[in-house]
Amino acid sequence: MFLTRSEYDRGVNTFSPEGRLFQVEYAIEAIKLGSTTVGIRTSEGVVIAVEKRVQSPLLESSSIEKIMEIDTHLGCAMSGLTADARTMIDHARVTAQNHAFTYDERIKVESATQAVCDLALRFGESVHDEEAMMSRPFGVALLIAGVDELGPQLFHTDPSGTFMKYDAKAIGSGSEAAQSELQDKWHKQMTLREAQILTMRVLKQVMEEKLDHHNVQLAQVTPTKGFEILNEVQLKEIIDAM
Amino acid sequence: MLMPDIAMAPHTLPTQHQFNPYTENGGTILAIAGADFSVIAGDTRQSEGYNIQTRYAPKVFRLTDRAVLAVNGFAADGNMFVKKVKQRLEWYRHAHGKDMPLRAIARLIQTMLYARRFFPYYVYNILGGIEEDGTGAVYSFDPVGSYEREACRAAGAAQSLVQPFLDNQIYFKNQTAPPDSAHPTHLPLPTVLSIVIDSFTSATERHIEVGDGLEMYIVLARGRNLAGLEGITGMQELTTTQDGERVFVVRRELKKD
Amino acid sequence: MDHFPTNWGRPRHEGFDAYATYPIHERPYNGPKDAFAAGVQRTQQPIVTGTSVLAIKYKDGIMMAADNLASYGSLARFKDVQRLHSVGSYTVIGAGGDMSDFQYIQKLLDDLITDEFTAQDGHELGPVEIHEYMSQVMYARRSKMNPLWNSLLIGGFKDGKRFLSYVDLLGTTYTASTLATGYGAYIAQPLLRKAVEGKEDTLTEEEARKILEDSMRVLFYRDARSINKFQISTVTSNGVWISDSIHLDTAWSFAEGIRGYGSQTQ
Repeated sequence: MFLTRSEYDRGVNTFSPEGRLFQVEYAIEAIKLGSTTVGIRTSEGVVIAVEKRVQSPLLESSSIEKIMEIDTHLGCAMSGLTADARTMIDHARVTAQNHAFTYDERIKVESATQAVCDLALRFGESVHDEEAMMSRPFGVALLIAGVDELGPQLFHTDPSGTFMKYDAKAIGSGSEAAQSELQDKWHKQMTLREAQILTMRVLKQVMEEKLDHHNVQLAQVTPTKGFEILNEVQLKEIIDAM
Repeated sequence: MLMPDIAMAPHTLPTQHQFNPYTENGGTILAIAGADFSVIAGDTRQSEGYNIQTRYAPKVFRLTDRAVLAVNGFAADGNMFVKKVKQRLEWYRHAHGKDMPLRAIARLIQTMLYARRFFPYYVYNILGGIEEDGTGAVYSFDPVGSYEREACRAAGAAQSLVQPFLDNQIYFKNQTAPPDSAHPTHLPLPTVLSIVIDSFTSATERHIEVGDGLEMYIVLARGRNLAGLEGITGMQELTTTQDGERVFVVRRELKKD
Repeated sequence: MDHFPTNWGRPRHEGFDAYATYPIHERPYNGPKDAFAAGVQRTQQPIVTGTSVLAIKYKDGIMMAADNLASYGSLARFKDVQRLHSVGSYTVIGAGGDMSDFQYIQKLLDDLITDEFTAQDGHELGPVEIHEYMSQVMYARRSKMNPLWNSLLIGGFKDGKRFLSYVDLLGTTYTASTLATGYGAYIAQPLLRKAVEGKEDTLTEEEARKILEDSMRVLFYRDARSINKFQISTVTSNGVWISDSIHLDTAWSFAEGIRGYGSQTQ
């Protein structure tokens, strides 16, 4: 098994005889090393939450940024090689702004997700003898949350450039346990409040450290207020209510 | 003084004939928005100077089931512009899985026109249709993309004849409302249609570049009944989807002299 | 990073367009760009010119006429020039304006037809396609401020449908059942409209031919840049046909009777 792999996992653009792109598969593996990230969609809005691994008591936990705004109606949480997400979110932001500039309307959540995924397979790409822009696949997965004319939506993207719509999704190291918990607890009538509490509960179950308002981050996108990252007071209130 | 004789010499450079990439092809367009409908019309004569090039060259185009674009000025630019707008609408459909909303088309047209700020499309655009909120709307543009939403607008050769008439009939300018009543904000469809027809028959009488044929597009809001279109003969429906906005076209003859 | 997906996968210089992804009128120019590029001459005015082209629809298809003169200013320089050109099996194109630009257009169209033929893909270009192609070429050239100085009539018959259209150096286009370029737009067009409008489906070939011959005669009388030698072309379900040169019989004796101007004293 490993022998055949070593033959075909060097070139990023080379299929193995079984028809696999190992570098992309390895990149997907990289996500599983990342911190757990959870997203839940309700009819009132979308909630996304991440675990922040505070490796040292000297670390300023507020400097760990794993949830970012794309546009006023779009947010994103990540897991994996988070530095790679900067390129993707930068592109999503420009695409969203460009859409608003050109069409005087907010970009759809799916369109923004598609724009990000268009980047995913551009590694090793070049025309004529020009330098390729990216040398390897992204090592990060995103949960993109947003509200548009079709209502609140949650999308998951992975390094292969595939994206799918979810009612609730967990990614990262604790994703297996978290996903089955979401599967048990999610229901159609869920309120935003219930979703906030559920994300915290799910994170609490899979986190090694004790969950508090310093080592998690929670954001939501609602039709009325758009994207917002909850502050420590709001976060503490949810954790206490849990 | 330095070389007074040269300084005094008249600055006559050899006159160079420069190729002029523009011409005017006459004709007039107009659009009026109602509460839940929009009417967009144009004559079909295309001319250059005193020559009538053809009696039938459309200037009004259905873009989607809820948007109609009228284009007036330099015909070659107009045709190219409409072609490019339609291309962008198709790309948008593929990228976002829906027809572009009217106000998005309006903004798109601005960016497309302004992109050619230094070699403009010599074209006056009027966009009519139905907004996302179901109201009738008209957007008008200048050749480099300035635009605004209005209740009515005329453009082209007979703009100076038609716009004052619309100001009076649509905006009730220089008309005083009877005591204890106000002018209506929106006119009913049959009234709008007769104003459009009257505008064009009048412009045909008084302007040599207007005439031959009239094309009126009528866009109705989603779920609106056909009230007001009963007496209209020779009306043709161009709608492509079910349960959405509906588009109709009415063709009329205008005097050909 | 380049955030515009339409630029992705393209080389970062515009001199290479392997997949012909640009519309014709904004295709990057790949030719040499040297220090003398600014000195390149564009057509600023026509030199050797052809005058009017006339065309009408009739029962069986379309008919077109143009005389055989190419003028150098007011000098009747070339008197055996063919200004009607067949394009493929369904189309004829007639040109007024600069004859060297027209020769370039003929080459362009011949190459196009050859390319299409060698593809052997079951597609054949008809008049509608030739018209669209020529309108794009002409508009592209005017947009580069380097026009092909012509007024073209394109006529044809394919799949049971006749087609007649006009394209000029500005990229202006239109279709009608009678068309005339140049001086003919003033002199012949009214005659053609009177004779043809409303009768497009009943006019016989003989009648159509007479209408064009009469119009060509009037043009010869009135247009100083014309000559009494012309060709007629028809495009019908039988294909394209271009006649040999026809000499017009003209009579000038009536001129003797004209009073009020000229050299007569009474």
